[in-house]
Formats: sequence, structure tokens, C-alpha cells
Amino acid sequence: MNQKIINIKNVTKIYKIGSVRVNALNGINLEINRGEFLTIMGPSGSGKSTLMNIIGCLDTPTSGAYLLEDEDVAKLNDNELAEIRNKKVGFVFQTFNLLSRTNIIGNVELPLIYSKGKPARSRKDLISDVIDSVGLKEWERHKPSELSGGQRQRVAIARALINEPTIILADEPTGNLDSRTGEEIMAIFQNLNKEGKTILFVTHEIDLARHAGRIVYLKDGIITGEEKISSPTNAKEKLENMPKLEDKINSIGENALT
Amino acid sequence: MKRILENIKIAFKSLGLNKLRSFLTMLGIIIGVGSVVAVMSVGAGAEASITENIQSMGTNVITITPGREQVFAGNREVRMESNAGQGGGFMVTRRFGDNEDEEIVAGELYLEDVDALKEKAKLLNEVVPVLSGFNSTFSYMSWSGNVSITATTEDYLSLQSYEMDKGSFFTASDVSNSSNVVILGYNVVTNYFGKANPVGEEVKINGKNFTVMGILKSAGSTFGMSPDDSVYIPITTAQNKIYGVDTVDQIIAKVESEDVMDQAIDEAKATLRVQHHILPGESNDFEIRSSTQLLEIASSVTDILIITLTSIAAISLLVGGIGIMNIMFVSVTERTREIGIRKAIGAKNRDILAQFLTESVVLSLSGGIIGVGFAGFVTWILGTFTTLSSLITAFPIILALSFSTVIGLVFGILPAMRAARLNPIDSLRHE
Repeated sequence: MNQKIINIKNVTKIYKIGSVRVNALNGINLEINRGEFLTIMGPSGSGKSTLMNIIGCLDTPTSGAYLLEDEDVAKLNDNELAEIRNKKVGFVFQTFNLLSRTNIIGNVELPLIYSKGKPARSRKDLISDVIDSVGLKEWERHKPSELSGGQRQRVAIARALINEPTIILADEPTGNLDSRTGEEIMAIFQNLNKEGKTILFVTHEIDLARHAGRIVYLKDGIITGEEKISSPTNAKEKLENMPKLEDKINSIGENALT
Repeated sequence: MKRILENIKIAFKSLGLNKLRSFLTMLGIIIGVGSVVAVMSVGAGAEASITENIQSMGTNVITITPGREQVFAGNREVRMESNAGQGGGFMVTRRFGDNEDEEIVAGELYLEDVDALKEKAKLLNEVVPVLSGFNSTFSYMSWSGNVSITATTEDYLSLQSYEMDKGSFFTASDVSNSSNVVILGYNVVTNYFGKANPVGEEVKINGKNFTVMGILKSAGSTFGMSPDDSVYIPITTAQNKIYGVDTVDQIIAKVESEDVMDQAIDEAKATLRVQHHILPGESNDFEIRSSTQLLEIASSVTDILIITLTSIAAISLLVGGIGIMNIMFVSVTERTREIGIRKAIGAKNRDILAQFLTESVVLSLSGGIIGVGFAGFVTWILGTFTTLSSLITAFPIILALSFSTVIGLVFGILPAMRAARLNPIDSLRHE
């Protein structure tokens, strides 16, 4: 089995907005190995999202090659891309992007609806196992609106996991969460990575970026640098040392009284 | 198959979230399908009862009418060419059937013509004259109202295959004596006497006293005109005491058998030509139609009526379809983000297309099904509170349901295509 699951060679992306050409990506070379936890960091407008969309097969590059598990996906049509997304990519978005009118089971089941062929195990078992793995067993019949932000993001992770994708793409998954909940989500990702899942994480916060094993810096559509993290931040340990929000509120309250 | 069920489930869920909106959208289809099915059912009912009426007389019946330049001829008040018992009541200014190219001049028919036919036309078994009047005043004690008068001879009962409920029909001597006797139709009895037995009672028709001799069993109605609404008196009484004429409106006769229909018509024609002193080469001043021809006229009239009304009703189906298209466009815009999510997760364009197409078909087909129920209700109302009888057959229901499915597909395709073509990246960003 090839270690290199993503191989991007000299990829460019040019948008035409009216008569204006916007060069979002100017020749990106990137390799991602199986089992890696990689962060892409960059300021807004650096081309992070464009790169993410291309890696996630939501978009195709203007030029260059993109091999996903040795399959050239740079020139596929809409329907072929949809199939790749369904089988090989698991998305976790900043804004969760759950179907608001469907309960947790329905949301997690969604990728299965669009996949060909039956999963080895029965759908029901598969769904309930995945929901269990993100700790939402007792919430499975609830709708997203009845859940907290952290819980919603766990549903999104469960949905991303259901089809056992080649890679999980997390686009600022903690952006809408408080720092403690964000850390909890990072702990889930680290845990998944430990189990062998390949994770691509996008952020603009250096603290969060250091949870990964490698950081790639992106600016103005090119990769400006790369950093190996020898000892990534351990989200679990950090959580233990983090004061809980209610503790903090209590202590502030006591101080105010005295 | 599983995908289709899944889509139907999604469709019902999303329609259920906007119950009022979905219902209002369906309303166009409900009204459209409802009126198409109701019109076709009432039409089918009318046609069935016309056919039944004409066939109950037998297919071996001919009707002779005087030549007329126009429908309303003569100076008697409220007269029409054909009477209700004939399954007629419609006005025919065109000539139908075999006589179409035969020119006919104005003329009259008399009781002497009846006698001549009885004597000379050997192929005719029963020859009965009819004189009819609409909106005649009928009163019993202090109650009064309007009825139709059918004036005829004693053979009318067996010719029309009507049955007596109580009492008896008038006799040949009543006819020759111009007796003031009357036989009441079923509705006349219920309207004026309720459950009481009217036989032997004195009633007034156009101010003249009549004795009730008998009442008829109900015979149903055609186009709201029914022999049940009529009263039956001897033709001579009507001629001498009510209208003051010596003519008759029509002569009905039974032919020995259907096989000799043509000869019988020729025989009757020849007899009447002699009777009316018509020279060779001159046009007839009367017209003879067989019951088959009457049936053709009746059904062509009802067909035109049904087609016209159905087309009008079908327009509201079209309007309903436009309503569906409109609401589906709204729905696609509202759910852009959902479409983006589904696409990101692996839905192909055709999956999204199928989802929204299913939704519009479910919307319009549900409207269709409710519309059929609505039509059932309307025809029930018509059947209960008016004399219109209707016949709900499978044909208009299948037609209306397949029509509403097609409407869902046709008017759903554009919104569904718009949904399917949405770009997943833009859709995910959609607020």
C-alpha cells in the first residue's frame, strides 16, 4: 500500500470574476502520507479554502496534477467527483453544516444514502457504533438545534467517519466553539489519528496548529514553509490543566464577594 | 427503489414542515382535478341516463316530429319540440343522422296522422301521439306550483315501459271522451301529497279540475329533466280543454323489430306523405328519427358539453402546475445550504434532481388524490340535493391522477434542474 495518499504537483487555481483573474493558488506541491495529522496554516485570503476545496474534490485545479490514492482526480466530472467525495473524503466544517430538520441518526446516515454497494455490517449497527464513538448515544434521536456547538461538531465528525474515508478534512472545526470545547474536539481528532486516520486540519491559530505532527504555511497561494512538530500539543493533557469554565466563574464570584 | 422511497420520505418531511404553504400550493391541483373528475362524472351520469332512457323504450322506436323552421314554432306558450320522457329537452336546430341532406318544410302533425299510421303502416305496432307543455300550473288544495304536462294516449305507459305505483293509467275511453283525469309522476306526488295516497283526489291543472287516477313509479332523471316531474293526461283533453289546438308535438311508434327499421320508416313516410297530400318531388313536412339516431344526437350534445367543461377545468390544473413550479423554486432557494451539504457528502446531480422532482410529484399527486376525494364529495352533494345523477368511473380518476403526476414532473423539472446544478462550494457558503 502506498504511503503517499495525496500527491499534489504544481497545482494552480485561477478564478475569473467578470474580467478580473484571481490567482488563488500559484503552484502548490504537497504530499500527505497515510496516518498523518497535518495542519495547513495561513491568513485569510492565503488560498487555504481553495486548496481545501480541491483536496476535498469539491473543486478541480486549473492546472497541475492531483493524485488521491494514485488516482488522478484533477480532470474528473461532477458526478465522478461526487463519488470520490462520498467514498474517500470526510468533511468537518466550521459551521457544522448539519441538516437541521433531520435527527442525529439521519445526519450521520447521510453519506450512506449516496453510496453504492452495501456496507459490510448492517446500516443500523454501523450508525449507532459511530454515534457511540463520539459519545452521543443518548442524543441520537435529537435534532441538531437541540445540541450544543461541541455536540454538533461531534455529529459532523461521526458523519465524516461513517464511510471510512481515506482522509478527514477539518476546515477550522473549532472556529465557532469556545476554547475548552475546541480543545475537546482536537482531542477527538488526535484520538482518531492515533487509530490511524489521516487528518488534514486547516486553521489560522498557531496554538491549535501545534496539535498536528506537521504544519504547512500558506501565503498568497504558495507554500512558504513547513515545520515538523516533534512533540505536538496533547489536547487531553491540556484539557486536564485547563480550568473549567464554571470553576472560573465560581472563583470570580467568590473574589467579588470578598 | 430504496432511493425512491427515501426521496418520498424526504419529500413528505419537507412538505410537512410547511403545511399551510404545501396545502395552498396543492389547492390549485385539488380544484383542477376535482372539477375535471366531477364534470366527467356528471357527464357520464347524464349520458348513462339518456342511454338508459332511450334504450328502456327499446332500440326499435321511431319518433316523428313536424317539420320546423325553428325550434320554437307555433304560438302556444312555452312549448318545446321534444319532451322529457324522450330523454330530450335539449334544443336541436341542426339536423342529424340520415335525414341531414333531406330538405324539410314546416308542417304539423294531427291525431288523424296517428290513425292513418295505425291503419296503414303495418310494421308499426304501437303508435302514440304526444303533446307536451312545460311550466303548467298545478294546484292541490292551497298548494300550487309548476309541472310539465305530457298529454298522450293509453298506449304511452307500455311504450315507455313505465310502471304504475298506485291506481291505473287512463284508458282509451278516457282519451275519446276527453276526460279530466290525470296520472302523477313520482316527484309530483312527493311534492304535493307527501306520503298520502293521492288517488281519487281532485287537483287543478291550468285552472281546470282533474281527478287523480294513478301514480307512476320513479323513473330517474336526465339532465335534470325527469318523467317524475310530469303529469300525464289524455291528449284530447289537452287539445280541447287546455291548449285549444288540434295538433300534436310528436308521434312515437314501436317498429315490429329492429331488422325492419328502414322499411318501417319508409312505410311511415309514405303513409304520412299521402295523408299530407305531398306530391312526388315535394319535400316532407315532417321528420322521422329512429331511437339510435336520437341516441347519437343526445350523446354528441353531451360530448360537446363535457369536452367544453373539462377543458375549462383543465386550465385550473395548468394554473396549479405553475403554482407548484413557483413554490419549488422558493424551496430550492431556501434549501441551497442543504443541497450544498448533500453534494459535499457525495450526492450526485441526479440525486438532487430526483429528490426535488419527487417532491414536486408528491405535492401534485397528493393534490390529485385529495382532488378526487373532493370530486366524490361534489358529486355526492349534487346527487343528494339536485336531480343530477353522476357516474364516477375509473377513467377520469386514472386520467386525473396521471395528469397530476405529469404536471408534477413538467413543472418540477426546472426547479429540480436548478437545484441539481448548484455549485456545492457556493451553496455551502449560502446563508
